[in-house]
Amino acid sequence: MSRPKVAIYWAASCGGCDTKILDTDEKLLDIAAAVDIVFWPIAMDFKYADLEKFADREIDLTIINGAVRNSEQEHIVKLLRRKSKVVAALGACAVSGGIPGLANQFTADEMLDYIYRKTLTTEPNSQPPKTETETEDGVLTLPKFYNTVFSLPQVIDVEYFIPGCPPPPSLIAKALELFVAGELPPPPAFVVGDKSVCDECPRERTGKFEVKQWKRLATHQPEQSNKCLLEQGFLCLGPATPSGCGALCPKANMPCEGCMGKSQDVVDRGAKFISTIASLYPAKTEEEIKKMLDEIPDLVGTLYRFDLPSSVLRGKVKKS
Amino acid sequence: MKRITIDPVTRLEGHGKIEIFLDENGDVKTAFFQVPELRGFEKFCQGRPVEELARLMPRI
Repeated sequence: MSRPKVAIYWAASCGGCDTKILDTDEKLLDIAAAVDIVFWPIAMDFKYADLEKFADREIDLTIINGAVRNSEQEHIVKLLRRKSKVVAALGACAVSGGIPGLANQFTADEMLDYIYRKTLTTEPNSQPPKTETETEDGVLTLPKFYNTVFSLPQVIDVEYFIPGCPPPPSLIAKALELFVAGELPPPPAFVVGDKSVCDECPRERTGKFEVKQWKRLATHQPEQSNKCLLEQGFLCLGPATPSGCGALCPKANMPCEGCMGKSQDVVDRGAKFISTIASLYPAKTEEEIKKMLDEIPDLVGTLYRFDLPSSVLRGKVKKS
Repeated sequence: MKRITIDPVTRLEGHGKIEIFLDENGDVKTAFFQVPELRGFEKFCQGRPVEELARLMPRI
């Protein structure tokens, strides 16, 4: 019997998710022995032309990390969808847009204009790349840079979701082992813990508490104690974030930034967490509310760091 | 004129594409390396709290 075929692709991503596949350590050897890896640009030599040669639904599992932000990525993920029986989104970018999704606060023109004309290190008279460039030998092409960053499920149907930035290797190994054993749950399904980060966090709360001031890490240092970071006044997204990471950040004195996404019964995580913030902070008057908001210098980057494209607003409203 | 396209460049961290044009003798005449990817951290990190950049930039 032939081994199941597995493809791994990265769209707009940093490579961290691929690294975490390798970080499954010795489990990767068992998985690699049980499947045939037929496409994995970061690790093995296959070309896009090889993908075209597969029959429809010939690939048993395709794992895609990264957001979709240009025409090439859209083309490849749609091609992979056609060639695959099952698609899994790996990491915050594919699941919900991720950090590159913060670009949804700007138009494509604003992005390109700054990056290729105005940064301090840009050569004078530089121009943004064009989708077609004539040379004396032939025309060079580049993908079209979209106005909006998309999460993977906004572009193609996705059966499984493994969130995290990066996703914990333990969850990747779990998903791959379930796949090899033919025991994946009915789709769509998230591979996460069934509690919140707080349930995995060793820090302690004293009970019901109020936050008098939201503290920035630039100006305040967490106490050398086991006290809950949220109770100390640091915006820790642990209560609103599914477990599965082992509370790595709070254990290292850093508030949870919410990379494991949201629980499935929540529509908009940022909006949901604003109600948490409001219930913890005793602001009643308009001035008190303004003071509280001033203490949070980047509300979008804090509450929508990993899911702006899949939030209700999706980003800045753009005309084109 | 023969044209060789290597797409994608594999086994590296990042996205790349190479176009090579050969002359009549089969020698390389011109070659182009292209990066068909941009996320734009240069722009969307602007204005964010400085302490958060240490958590945003590792994802570049």
